[in-house]
Amino acid sequence: MTELLHSPLFALPLNLCAFLAGVAIYRRSGTALLHPIVGASVLVAAVLWLLQIPYGDYQQASGLLYALLGPAVVALAVPLKQNLAIIRRAGWPLAVTLAAGAILAPVVAVVIALLLGAAKPVLLALSGKSITTPIALALAEKIHAAQSLTAGIVVFTGVVGAVAGPPLLARLNIHDHRVLGFALGINAHAVGTARALEISALCGAFAALAMGLCGALTALLLPLMLAP
Amino acid sequence: MDSNRLRDVAHWLCGAAILLGCERLGRAISEAFSLPVPGSVLGMLLLLLGLMIYGGVPRGLARVSEQLLRLLALLFLPAAVGVFYLRDLSLQDWLALLAATVVGTLLSLTLCALLLAKFLKRADGEGGRD
Repeated sequence: MTELLHSPLFALPLNLCAFLAGVAIYRRSGTALLHPIVGASVLVAAVLWLLQIPYGDYQQASGLLYALLGPAVVALAVPLKQNLAIIRRAGWPLAVTLAAGAILAPVVAVVIALLLGAAKPVLLALSGKSITTPIALALAEKIHAAQSLTAGIVVFTGVVGAVAGPPLLARLNIHDHRVLGFALGINAHAVGTARALEISALCGAFAALAMGLCGALTALLLPLMLAP
Repeated sequence: MDSNRLRDVAHWLCGAAILLGCERLGRAISEAFSLPVPGSVLGMLLLLLGLMIYGGVPRGLARVSEQLLRLLALLFLPAAVGVFYLRDLSLQDWLALLAATVVGTLLSLTLCALLLAKFLKRADGEGGRD
């Protein structure tokens, strides 16, 4: 019995059920605060705790999902290609903002944490906070940041940006959907892109483009910046 | 009817093979030259380059990608669950994390938006003068 609980035969259905429940909770609530991953991870953690399954065993049993993260990163090229025409229309302002944003987002966060005296593992995990989770996890492996901490920070960042970003920009009198979408894509990755799609198709396309390019750019730049 | 279904499956398999192939190739390049960039990101850039040269997205590849990206949250669920098992962080670390994610994200988001709004206004102005 315990062997079954520690095997993929139990872990994979558990992940799938928790994911579907997380999606259902998210759809019903209609707020980015309850992103599917929030409900799903709480459910899985509760089941692991109830059945006293160590996290390491569960993680190992979920290997198939980890193996699919790489192909998922590659798959990001498809929406990127479909939205690339936008760059040609809006031109250099997007390119410059993208470069500035890809550097600003991690630097601002790391500086704040540094000023508040955070330890080095926290700073490393923070550096990938604004890029889409699969790229952030691949990057975490390269720069030796803790995967779980990185995943948590990335999801939380996305939720903060998606929930507070649109009202904040509205207050600053920014109503251009291109600007809103692009800022959400750079700073709040997939969670922000989902929110942008709810605002308008134009907003969503700009967010998807920004998310893909920012992820790729950060993955190229960050290891160089961190190199001794 | 049946042959259509068979063709769909073949397209889908081709799409999946392209994704896996690009990932493997990216990883191999990253390892061979010991690049600091993750192999999967190189794979993504390779695929993007390929699609730009090809001038479109093959149907099967579009379908596999869409399905995979819709399941994204499921794929990183095991990593996210680990958040509940973090024990070695101090209170100071948690406070710094909270401030960096909330204040930092909103600050960089605002700066990005202001920057782009200003640039777009200038670019639109140039366009108007032409």
